[in-house]
Amino acid sequence: MKNSAQRDLFPGALEMMILRTLKRQPLHGYALVQHIKRTSDDLLQIEEGSLYPALQRLLKEELVKAEWGISSTNRRVRIYKLTAAGAKHLERQVSSFEKMLEGITRVLARGES
Amino acid sequence: MRRLRALFVRLGGFFYKDSGENEFADEMESHLQLHIEDNLRAGMSPAQARREAIMKLGGVEQTKENYRERRGLPILETTFEDCRYAFRLLSRNPGFTLVAVVTLALGIGGNTAVFTVMNSVLLQNLPLPHPEQLMFLRLPNDQPLGASNTGDGDTSFSYPVFEELRKERAAFSDLMAYVPLAIGKVPVRIGELPEEAAADMVSGNFFSGLGAAFARGRGFTLEDETAHAALAVLSYSYWTGRFARDPSILGQTIYVKGLPFTIIGVTARGFYGIEPGVSTDFWIPLQNRPELNAWGNSASNSTLYGTPTWWCLRLIGRLAPGVSDPQALRTVEPAFQQAALIGLGALDNKSQKPVLALASAKGIQGVRDQYDQPIRILMAMVGLVLVIACANVAMLIVARNSARQREFSMRVALGAGPGRLFRQLLAESLLLVTTGAALGWMFAIFASSALAAWSSLDVPFSLDSNVLLFTLLISLACAVVFGIVPLRSAATVSAGSALKTSNAAAQPNKTTSWAGKLVVAVQMALCLILLVGAGLLVRSLRNYENLPLGLRTDGLLVFGASPLTTHSDDEKAKFYRILLDRLRVVPGVESATLMDNRLGSGWSSNGIFAIDGIEPTGSFSEIGMRANDVGPDYLHTLGIHILQGRDLLDSDSRTAPKVVIVNETFAKRFFPRGDALGHTAGGVKPEQRFTIVGVAADSKYTGVDEKPRPMLYFSFWQRSSVSDMQVELHTAGNPEALLPNVRAALHEIDPNLPMQKPMTQRAQFDESFSQPRLFARLAMFFGLLAALLVATGLYGTLAYRVSRRTSEIGLRMALGAQRSEVLCMVLRESLLISVAGIVVGVPLAIAGAQLVRSMLFGVTPGDPISYLGALLGVTLVALVASAIPARRAASVDPIVALRYE
Repeated sequence: MKNSAQRDLFPGALEMMILRTLKRQPLHGYALVQHIKRTSDDLLQIEEGSLYPALQRLLKEELVKAEWGISSTNRRVRIYKLTAAGAKHLERQVSSFEKMLEGITRVLARGES
Repeated sequence: MRRLRALFVRLGGFFYKDSGENEFADEMESHLQLHIEDNLRAGMSPAQARREAIMKLGGVEQTKENYRERRGLPILETTFEDCRYAFRLLSRNPGFTLVAVVTLALGIGGNTAVFTVMNSVLLQNLPLPHPEQLMFLRLPNDQPLGASNTGDGDTSFSYPVFEELRKERAAFSDLMAYVPLAIGKVPVRIGELPEEAAADMVSGNFFSGLGAAFARGRGFTLEDETAHAALAVLSYSYWTGRFARDPSILGQTIYVKGLPFTIIGVTARGFYGIEPGVSTDFWIPLQNRPELNAWGNSASNSTLYGTPTWWCLRLIGRLAPGVSDPQALRTVEPAFQQAALIGLGALDNKSQKPVLALASAKGIQGVRDQYDQPIRILMAMVGLVLVIACANVAMLIVARNSARQREFSMRVALGAGPGRLFRQLLAESLLLVTTGAALGWMFAIFASSALAAWSSLDVPFSLDSNVLLFTLLISLACAVVFGIVPLRSAATVSAGSALKTSNAAAQPNKTTSWAGKLVVAVQMALCLILLVGAGLLVRSLRNYENLPLGLRTDGLLVFGASPLTTHSDDEKAKFYRILLDRLRVVPGVESATLMDNRLGSGWSSNGIFAIDGIEPTGSFSEIGMRANDVGPDYLHTLGIHILQGRDLLDSDSRTAPKVVIVNETFAKRFFPRGDALGHTAGGVKPEQRFTIVGVAADSKYTGVDEKPRPMLYFSFWQRSSVSDMQVELHTAGNPEALLPNVRAALHEIDPNLPMQKPMTQRAQFDESFSQPRLFARLAMFFGLLAALLVATGLYGTLAYRVSRRTSEIGLRMALGAQRSEVLCMVLRESLLISVAGIVVGVPLAIAGAQLVRSMLFGVTPGDPISYLGALLGVTLVALVASAIPARRAASVDPIVALRYE
C-alpha cells in the first residue's frame, strides 16, 4: 500500500528534499527519514522503501556521495554527503520548483476569486 | 540471531563478488536496527519494535530488487539473471530437461529435414540468383508444320526464333539456348579410355544469363558462340567425380566424338545444368559441325546448325527486371510470329499458328512426380510426430509447473510480481526450446542427407531455415503457452492460502487432469495411426523381400562388359565367345552366361512376336511379350527350372538353326494343350521364325514386383544385331570374393576392359525396391519414435498423478486396500486412456491407410495383421509406461504416505 503523501509527491520531490536535507549536514538513511518527517511536522511521511532507490539514483548521478561511518549509537552506517554538483542541482531544482509553486499558487488564487 | 544474520551477510561479502549488493544489505540492516532502537526507546516491546520497523521499511526484497534495477542495464541484467536461474532449475531436474530437449529436437529436426527435401523437390527454384525471373519457353500448340523437330514438339525452337527473340531486351534481359549433344550421353575421351558423359551445347550467354557462378575459370562468351569455339565447361560434380577435382583442370583436353575441346571452366558446386531431372556433365558452345549436331542427329540438310526449319533449341529466358511474364509474352509475340515463319513460308492453316508460352523454372522437374506422394506422406508422418512431441513437451511443462505451484506462491509471497514470474517461466521455456532446436538442427543435417541419399537426388540440400523457424515458432508457442498456464492460478491465489496448502492438497483441479488424460489419449490415437502405417509398409517390404524370383538368389554375380574396339556383329559375337570361354575356367565359377537386359535393373525388351508366323491379336496388355537376348547355359546358370525341352547351348550359334525358349506363361497362353515345343515364335517371315526348344518356369525380369508376362529367351548370337551384354556368373561361395579373379580374367582379354557396375544379382533385385524399403524403414522409425514419445508422455502423466495421490493411496491402504488393488487402479487408468485412444485411432488409421494404398504391395489397407500389431504395440506402450508408476503406487507405505499430509 502506498500512502497518500507518497502518491501526491511530484517526481523529483523526494530527491529535492534529500538534497536539501543533506545540504545542512551529512546524514545516514535512517536519520534522513527522521529529519524529513520531523521538519515537515509529520506532514510528509517518506516511505522508507523508496528512500534507498532514490539515494541510489543520486549516487549514480554523483549528486551525493556516501561513505561508511559510525552513528551516534555506535552502529556502522552509510553516511550521505552532498557533492558540489548536488548543491548546484539543488539550486536549480529549488528555483524551478519555486517558479512552479508560484504559478500553481496564482492559478489557485484566481480560481478562488 | 540478528547479529548472526548480519554476520552472515558480511561473511558473504568475502565470497560474494557483488559488493554493491552486500553494502546495500548492510545498509538496510543498519537502518532497521536504528529504527528498532528508536522504537524501543519509544517504549515498544522488542517484538513490536521490530515488527513496526520492518513494516515501515517495506519489503526488503522488493526494495533490493528496486535497488538492483536502478543499477546497470536493468532489462539485460534481469534477463541474464532469469536465464541463469532457469538454467540452474533445469539442470537440477536433468531427467525432465533431457526428455523435453530430446523430444523437441526430434520433432524440430525431423520436420526440418523432411520439409527441406520436400521443398527442394517440389518447390525450390534453380540454384541461381533471382530464379523467379527464369522462364522456360514452351510451345503448348507444338511446332508449326514443316519444321524438322526433335520429337520434343513443345520445348524446341528454331535458330531464327532464338536470334530474333534474344534481341527483345525489353522482355528478356537474356535469352539462353541449350540443346543436348545426344539423347542420353555422348561418347567422350579423356586420356586413353573412351567413356560417356551428358553434355549440352549452349549459347554464349548461357552462364552469364543464368548467373551461374564458377569454381574455376570462366564461362562462354558470345564470341565463343559465333566462332563455335572448341571450349568446354565442366560441372562441379563431373570435375569431382571424373577428375578428382584436379587443380590443373583448366587447359586440359576432352575429346567429344573424337574432336578436342579445351576445358576453360568448372561451374560452382550445386549447379547441375537446367536439363530436367538430369545433371549435365559439361557444356560446349553451340557447334555447326555435322558430327556435333543437336541431339546427335545425323546431319541431313534439314537438320543442321543454322537451318531455319531445324527446331532443336531449348530456350530459357531471364525476364527483364520488373517485367511480368504476360508482359514479356506480349512484347515478344510479334517478333516470334515473324521468326517462326522463316524457312516455312506462310501458314495456310490459321489453327496451326504457333503459340508461345512461358513456364516457371521451378522445382526439380520430372523428379517431382516420382517423389511427390511419398514425400507428402512422409510429411504427414513427421507432422504427427511433431504434434505428439509438442503435446509431450506441453504436458511435461504443465505437470512440472503445477507441481511448482507452491514455489510460485512462495515467490509471490516473497514479493515477486507476476511480471517477474512470467519472465522466469518464459526464460525456462526459451532455454528448453533453443537447446532442443540446436540439437534438432544437428539431427536435421543428418536426416536430410539420409533422405537425399534415399531419393538419390544428386542435388545438395541446404537446410531450409524458414522451415526451421516455423517449427521453432510452433514449439516455442507451445512451450510458452503451456509454460505460463500455471501462472494464472499462482498469480490469483493469495499468498497466505497458497502457503498454507500442503503439497498433497495442492492437487490440480479436475479440468487439468482431464485435459492431461485427453491429450495422452489423442497421442495414443496418433501413435496408432503411425504404427498401422508402419505395419502396412513393413509388411509390404516383407512381401517384396520374400517374393519368389523363380531363380536362384545366391551365388550370382552380374556385371557389364562391352567390347571397346570391335563394332561389327560378328566381331562382337566373337568377343563374347572368347569372354565366356575365359570366364568359365576362372576358379570358383561354376557356370557363366550372358544377357542383354540385366535382370532386376528395370530394363526389358518388349514387343509382340508372331507365333508360327501369325501375330496374335488383342491389346498389348493381354498379349504384350517380353524378350531378352541371352547366352548359352542361361537357365542353368540362373537356376530357372526347365519344364520342357532344353536350355540354350553353345551350339545355338550364329550359324545354327534359330531357337528360342519361352516361359510357362507364354506356353500356357498360346499353347494351352502343352505342345509348345517345335512351334515357332519371332517374326512373320519364315527366316525370322525361331523354333521353341524349351519351356522355362516363370521368373522375375525387370524387378521383384512385376506380374508374370509371356517371355522369350533368344540366343543372342542368332539375333540380327548383337547388343552390349551383361555377364552373369554362378559361383561357389561368396560371389564378391571372386571379383579379383574375374577382373584378372578380363584384363587378359583386353587391359582396358572395365567391369561395369559389378554386383550380386540379389543386390540388383534389391535395388528394384529400394524406395519401398527406405520408406518402410522411415515409417518404422517414425512409428517407434511415436511409440516412445507416447510412452514417455503416458509415463509422465501417470507418474505425476501417482505422486500427487500418494496420501490418498496411503489412506486407501490404511483402510485395508490390497497392493494388487492399488496396482489395478493405476493400470486401469492407463488402460482406459489407451482404450479411448484406440477407439478414436482405429477409424482414423483406416482412413489414413487409404492414403498409402498406392505404396502397398501384397497387403490391403485393411490388413488385419498390421492393425493387430499396432493395437498390440499401443497396449504394450500403455503397460510399459504404467508399470513403474503402478509399482510405485503399490509400494506406498501407508504410514509414510499419511505423514505427507
